[in-house]
Order: sequence, then structure tokens, then C-alpha cells
Amino acid sequence: MTTSPPGADATSPPVIRASGLEKRYGDVRAVDGVGFEVRRGELVGFLGPNGAGKTTTMKMLTGYLYPDSGEVSIGGERLDGPGRLAARARIGYLPERTPLYEGMRVDRYLAFVGEVRGLSRAARRDAVARTVAACDLDEYATRRIRTLSKGYRQRVGLAQALVTDPEVLVLDEPTSGLDPVEIVRIRDLVTRLSEQKTILLSTHVLSEVEEVCGRVLILAAGRLVADGPLLELGAALEAEEGEGLVVVLGAPEEEAREALAAVPGVRSVDRVSRSGSGRLRFALTVSERFEVAPRIDELAHARNWTVFELRHEGATLERVFLARTRGLLRRSATEASA
Amino acid sequence: MKRILAILARELRAAFESPMAYVAIAIYVPLQAGLFFFLGYPVGRVPLPGLWEGGQASLLVLFAWMPLLFAFLVPALTMGAWAEERRSGTEELLFTYPLRTSEVVAGKFLAVWLLACLLLAATVLPVAITVDGLGDLDWATVWVGLLGGFVLAAGYAAVALCVSALAAEQLVAFLCGGLVLAGLWAMRLLVGILPARFARGLEYAAPGSHFLDSSARGVLDLRDLVYFGLLVCVGLWINVLVIERKRWVG
Repeated sequence: MTTSPPGADATSPPVIRASGLEKRYGDVRAVDGVGFEVRRGELVGFLGPNGAGKTTTMKMLTGYLYPDSGEVSIGGERLDGPGRLAARARIGYLPERTPLYEGMRVDRYLAFVGEVRGLSRAARRDAVARTVAACDLDEYATRRIRTLSKGYRQRVGLAQALVTDPEVLVLDEPTSGLDPVEIVRIRDLVTRLSEQKTILLSTHVLSEVEEVCGRVLILAAGRLVADGPLLELGAALEAEEGEGLVVVLGAPEEEAREALAAVPGVRSVDRVSRSGSGRLRFALTVSERFEVAPRIDELAHARNWTVFELRHEGATLERVFLARTRGLLRRSATEASA
Repeated sequence: MKRILAILARELRAAFESPMAYVAIAIYVPLQAGLFFFLGYPVGRVPLPGLWEGGQASLLVLFAWMPLLFAFLVPALTMGAWAEERRSGTEELLFTYPLRTSEVVAGKFLAVWLLACLLLAATVLPVAITVDGLGDLDWATVWVGLLGGFVLAAGYAAVALCVSALAAEQLVAFLCGGLVLAGLWAMRLLVGILPARFARGLEYAAPGSHFLDSSARGVLDLRDLVYFGLLVCVGLWINVLVIERKRWVG
């Protein structure tokens, strides 16, 4: 059971509800029994390694692909029911490759999207002006899409998702391939939008999710392997695998590694890195940090090593991600080679 | 209906924003007029002479070429309809909008049909005015023939659009569409070779028969309209099924 992250309305019915979603491509099971709910106002990070089934799941959530089994509801309307067009009208979608009609002008393209999404002529004019302004496209509104840079094309992609002001946004890797300036711009825009909308954001950039998302869904080998606020996922991982300690030492590497691994309560020495000044940074997983830390301190004094830093490192999203996807990735690789 | 018109308008705009429509006009219009004036129609049981040789104020030769020339013109207009959407990925977005598949198919079909009608009118009317200046042209025959041409174009557009939905690339869509329509045109050629009972069925099934033997000669036959209406409905229905299947299969 997870608590509701900030921004979410815990009392409202879910805006996105997916249950038992399955999709096969030939013999490959791309999505295998995925189910979750997203409530009004949530900004949910959707993570997974390449080939985990994220994009296929998003295509089913937006109504482009039909699931082999399972169902999706948007705002209470099922995507395979009589209210499917109303359900799709509630979603703004930015696919992974940002597909656009290259030959069209930005403003005419947005007006076209508004028209097929049911806006009247007057409403379209207002919607295009509002969206162009929201996505900082004023100077480029009359330019043909093919003449725009990747960053501006991405903004046009976001603008088409926003033109009817839908309550749900599904964004598939919106910052992929952009330069750092554009990444920050798009991320700021998504954060601003999250104040009014329910957003499902797929990305490979874990720091992006840590920064903006209140909740995380992790998919691996087509299955949902984690669902909850990042703090809860981290706490659950620490309870299962142990806590993280970071030790920065002035010591010979091999000797320090062996000695640290032998300290009672140290479960594993996960990573070792060396700084420019020769200091060694060890990341450890320990059973109980308040018991292990004094032992490490004593060890350092006994060996005459300098301790530059000794601190607790909470379970980062990276650690959660790796821990939750590791087993399933190994399993799917074994199945593929069998 | 509004959504169909929105798709129709976008498709027409896209056609005129690319060189495709202009290339089609530049090739088709002078080619058909040239064949009419100079070559005649040397295919079939009774070859027809060109205007200068035959000296008759009639557009029958012009209309006679239509089923064959349309077999290549119409696939040129439909080849990008689905293949381009698929290549650029816009198909994925289009079907997440609140649109029925049938609305998208209808919008694309109407755009291709309108373009084909425009080309047809741009070919027939200048030729008709020229012939009228040279002799006594029966304009009623011209209008019926033009209407028949529009209906023929609708049938061809539905078939070619359906083939385009099956093809992954534009060139494949064009070649396969041309092959299918040329095959339908060639069915009439087999009529003289096959036994009578097969020939009769084949002749009735060939689209060209429902144009060349009636409206091209100035005769409006309701059965031909029903035939092409059915061809359009079946073509568009299969097109919807093809697109829906892709969304199931992925």
C-alpha cells in the first residue's frame, strides 16, 4: 500500500486506470499483465530498460494499439467501450519519435489537430494562440515544421498534445536527444503543466524523474516491478537489501576493499571510484548503518587511514531501478537464449 | 462529418505542398490529350482512330483511355496516403485523436477522389472546348462521360487506397496499386479469349465495362452507379479492416 504523493488528489477516482494489460508481438510477450492507477494531479515517472514494454504500454494507454487482453479507462471511460472517443479526447500524447506533418506550418498544424479533436473555429484560434505562447513558439508559428530544430520540433509535439487542454498527458521520452538547454526548458514546461494536469512521463533520465515526479512506475520484461513514491520504494529496498553507506578514504585500494568487506555487518562493497586527489570512494551495503559506521571508523584508525567522509546514502532511484529490474532482465535473457 | 472534412483538407493541402500533384498534372493532362488527338485507341475489338485521323467531333477516344491511364494516375495519388503516415509516425498520433478509423479512411478517400476529378476535368474540358470549335460536339455526351469518369475514379481510388494501406513504402504502394488496377483493366481483354459463360462474368466484373459501354458513350446506367458504389464501399471497408488489424497486431 502506497501513500499518495504530493499533488495527487487521493479522494478522487483514478484518471488513468489500466488493468491486466497484455500485448504480444509474435512469440514475444511485450507487456505482461500490467496494471496501475494514476490519480488527478499526479506526475508519474514511467521507467524501464530498453525493450521493457514502456512504449507499447503507452500506445495502449492512448488508444493507438489494442491490448490482447486487459483494459484501459481514461476518466472513467473505457478505451474499448462506446465512450472511447470521449476517453481519447481527454488525452494529449507525445510519442517517442515526435511525429509531425513536416510540410505544414506550425500554426496550421495545431489548428488541424484542434479541428480533428473537435474544437470550433473560434475555439481553435484561441487554443492555437494559447498553446503557441505556452510552448514559446511565437516566433516560429508561421514557419514550416521541417525548418525547425529538434528542440523546437519537440515543442511543437508538446503543443499538439496541449492544444485542446486535455486533462491527461502521456509523454514518451520528451527530452530524448535534446541539448541541455532544451532539456531544462522542456522539463520546466512539464513541471508547470503538472500543476494542472495528470502526467505520465516516460524517460531514461533518472535524475529527471527524481527531480519532478512524485511517483514512479518501473517496468521490466513487460511486467510492472515497482509502483510508488520514490521515498517508499527506497525504504522498501533498504529494508530488503540493506542500507547504503559511502566511505571516502585515503588508503591502498585492494587492502581497503578487503578490509571493508570483512567488517561485520557489511553485506557488499558495491562500487569503488578514485577521485583526482587519490581518495577512494566506496559505496557499501550494510545491515545497520549505526552499528557498522563506528566499526569502519575504528578500522581506519587501526590501519592509520584518513577518513574524509562517512555518510548514509539513501536508496537512490538508480539503485531502486537496478535492483528491481536486475532479476527480470536476467530471466528474460535466459528465456531468450533457451 | 467535420472531422472527415478536416482530414480531407489536410490531405489536399499536403498534396499541393508536395510536387506530387503538379507532376501528376504535368504528365497526365498532356499525355491523355496527345493520345486523343494523335494516336486514337488501338486496343480492343474495334480500334478507334485519333481525332485528326477519324475526323469525328466526339470524345469517345479520350474517355476510352481513362480506365488504363487511371490505373497509374490514381495509385500515384494514393501511394503516400498511408505509407507516408507510417514512415513519419503520424499514423500513431492520428489514431490517438478522437477519430474513428472510418472517418480517417473517408477523409483520405475523398481527397484522392477530388484530386482525380480535378485532373479529369482539367483534361476533358479544354479538349472538349477545342473539339467544339472544330466541329459540332454533343455536350450532353461530354457531361455524362465526365460524370462516368468521376465515378470510375471513385472506384479506382477506393481500390488503390486499400492497396496503399497494405504497403509499407510509397513505391511499393504505387507499383502494387498500378498492378491491381491494370489487372482490373486487362480483364476486359480476356473476354474475347475465354468461353462465353466465363467471359460474361468477367466482363461484368471489370470496372472498365461499366464505363466504356455506357457513360463514355453518353449513356447513364443506374446499374453502373450501383457497381461503382459497391466497389467504393467494399474497398473502403477492407481499408478500415486493414488499418484496424494493424492496431491489433502492432
